[in-house]
Amino acid sequence: MGNLWITIKTILEDLGIEVVVPPRPSRQSLDVGVRHAPEFACFPLKLNIGDLVGGIQNGADTIVMAGGVGPCRFGHYAQVETQVLRDLGHQVEMVVLEPPQGRLAELLMKINYLTGGKSLRRVWRAIGFGLEKLQALDGLDRALAWARPLGTPARAERAGPGYPSSGAAGLGWAHRRAVMAIADAAGVEATRREARRGLEAIALAAGLDPLEKGLAPSGRDGPALRVGLVGEIFMIAEPFANQEIERRLGDLGVEVVRSLYISDWVRTHLLPRVLAPRRHVRLVARAARPYLGHFVGGEGLESVGEAVLYEQRGFDGVIQVAPLTCMPEIVAASLLPEVSRDLGLPVLSLFLDEHTGEAGLQTRLEAFVDLLARRRVASGRGRGTR
Amino acid sequence: LHSSAMRLAEGAVIGLPRALLFFELYPFWRAFFNGLGLVCAVSAPTSPETIEIGAREADDGTCLPVKTFYGHAASLRDRVDAIFLPRLVSLTRGTYTCPKMLGIPDMIRHNLERMPRILVTCVDATRGTGLVESSVALGRSLGRSAAHARTAARAGLEALRVFRDGLEQNLSFSQAIVEQFPREISRLCRETGNDASVGPGRRLRARVGLVGHAYNLFDPGVNLDLVRKLAKLGCDLRTSEHLSLVEVEAESSLLPKAIFWSGGRRVLAAVSLFRRQRLVDGIIHVVSFGCGPDSMVGEIAEREIRRSSSLPYLALTIDEHAAEAGLVTRLEAFTDMLERRRAGVGSA
Repeated sequence: MGNLWITIKTILEDLGIEVVVPPRPSRQSLDVGVRHAPEFACFPLKLNIGDLVGGIQNGADTIVMAGGVGPCRFGHYAQVETQVLRDLGHQVEMVVLEPPQGRLAELLMKINYLTGGKSLRRVWRAIGFGLEKLQALDGLDRALAWARPLGTPARAERAGPGYPSSGAAGLGWAHRRAVMAIADAAGVEATRREARRGLEAIALAAGLDPLEKGLAPSGRDGPALRVGLVGEIFMIAEPFANQEIERRLGDLGVEVVRSLYISDWVRTHLLPRVLAPRRHVRLVARAARPYLGHFVGGEGLESVGEAVLYEQRGFDGVIQVAPLTCMPEIVAASLLPEVSRDLGLPVLSLFLDEHTGEAGLQTRLEAFVDLLARRRVASGRGRGTR
Repeated sequence: LHSSAMRLAEGAVIGLPRALLFFELYPFWRAFFNGLGLVCAVSAPTSPETIEIGAREADDGTCLPVKTFYGHAASLRDRVDAIFLPRLVSLTRGTYTCPKMLGIPDMIRHNLERMPRILVTCVDATRGTGLVESSVALGRSLGRSAAHARTAARAGLEALRVFRDGLEQNLSFSQAIVEQFPREISRLCRETGNDASVGPGRRLRARVGLVGHAYNLFDPGVNLDLVRKLAKLGCDLRTSEHLSLVEVEAESSLLPKAIFWSGGRRVLAAVSLFRRQRLVDGIIHVVSFGCGPDSMVGEIAEREIRRSSSLPYLALTIDEHAAEAGLVTRLEAFTDMLERRRAGVGSA
């Protein structure tokens, strides 16, 4: 899921566990997943099974998997995967880490088993290190999404030698390079240093002088269109699953802000309650209440609540990305049209799976962006960037 | 949803959509509302038109049972004083129904126009608000005293107990309903008439375990009259709804992790019980197209069965386009196969 692997690899390696990283999700791993997963399973499960098979082929003998207590299907991924892998003849052990509201003692025992009896303080420190990287990576993603609408070729030229000539490609290059540097960073300090460097490189590639803090980028045709991305966390965070929707929108001159970064999700779902960002959770629930008065599992409530909040923050539109047949997101998708009507907020719901064609998606995005740009002109807030 | 907090006069008519967990909880709500002096109106049995309306009003991605629910709710709106749309989060501790059932009161309210007053109560046994607590809260918001509401809720529980006892004795849904509401024999029995056993004078050809959600097994309009078709083919049926809660929990404890959807937990428990005690010759799993829990539970059930036995397993996926002829052919083939296997076992 996105760059989460870097965090998990960091934590486990810091605890002295050898980590096998499966190949990046690809058409190939997806085909493997689709072949072995239940036909009507949701899309992330299919990709997940493809990844697991890839990891096993690379030599993994134990799988660490997050669990859940429902009602979203993700909570039963591990059971189905155990069965699928067993029937495929793979002898692997599955360690399922469930959130502590399950059974705390059981969770601690599993951590103890995985780490070979390392002290909890040691484990806690490793997790802190991993989360530091996650924060840094999410920061890079944020910066990239912000800079994309700026990344014109002329600006890349100004950024100096060493960068590919096309602005968008230069940005992607600066971002990728920073991600790898953070992945390899050996400590918290090094992580922070690399994060700073990465942000500077992205700013440079976008044609901004990192020293001119606070200055609005000059030469833009008014502020870029801003779109909030809501939906299911895996589809938001994994570019392969969402067909690089952020890059596509960025290329169309749109600044994309995710409702949920992986670090937010980890804090609300995997860490003890005390560390969860409760204020924001309450804010979202309150925003959603006129439309949806109860959590529905997954990110269903968040999709509705965040859409309302985006409207309040003056965003031009909201795009919902979710796996086909995703239950919580179907609930959200049933309510978003009403949100859209009430608030005058354009909302595009995209349910994606292995059959989603690239051209169809691109066309829908272009049409949506055209609509947003026209609304911008009509509202007299300057013209869109296209 | 704050529309609940207003007195409802005696004799007011409350609409109950005949869909989803209606098929598990009807006796409770019926006895409860009657106890409050209110009248229950159940929507007409599922017809092709019900499903058509539902498919038109609901989001494309929703499953057939939810579309059916939309259809039933729509059919009630002009003839009742209020529609009852409980938010059924969790019926027993540690389980959930499914995300769509959690959201359905909101989905209906925002997608169906011209709705009358909507009554909502949130049943969440995992967080300590079970059927009784939530219905007492509802009764109070309708202007009844706490004692009055509690008496009505107790009557509801009693009705539910009698109903479940009936099911556990292998009665069909309509028979179990009829046991406690005899005056409805003529109407409800015809409407949901599902006779779960081979009629007199017919030869028993196979014992079939029929597993799935109650709203798929007991709604002939959704399952194309599957139960009667199987009975006609000479199948003796045991359904997952005939298991008691105790049996469900006992069988679930044999699994590495109990399923947290109450419907799925029951299905896997039934599959496990039928298989271990050799109660059936084959299993038919009725699956809704687009049902999230079914997609996972069906996979686990099928793989379990394949690995540990040679029990034939048929997954029947039903959706709004299901055709009668295709279903009959598959059921006939399945029954023929089971019969041949029975004969084979007998002669070997």
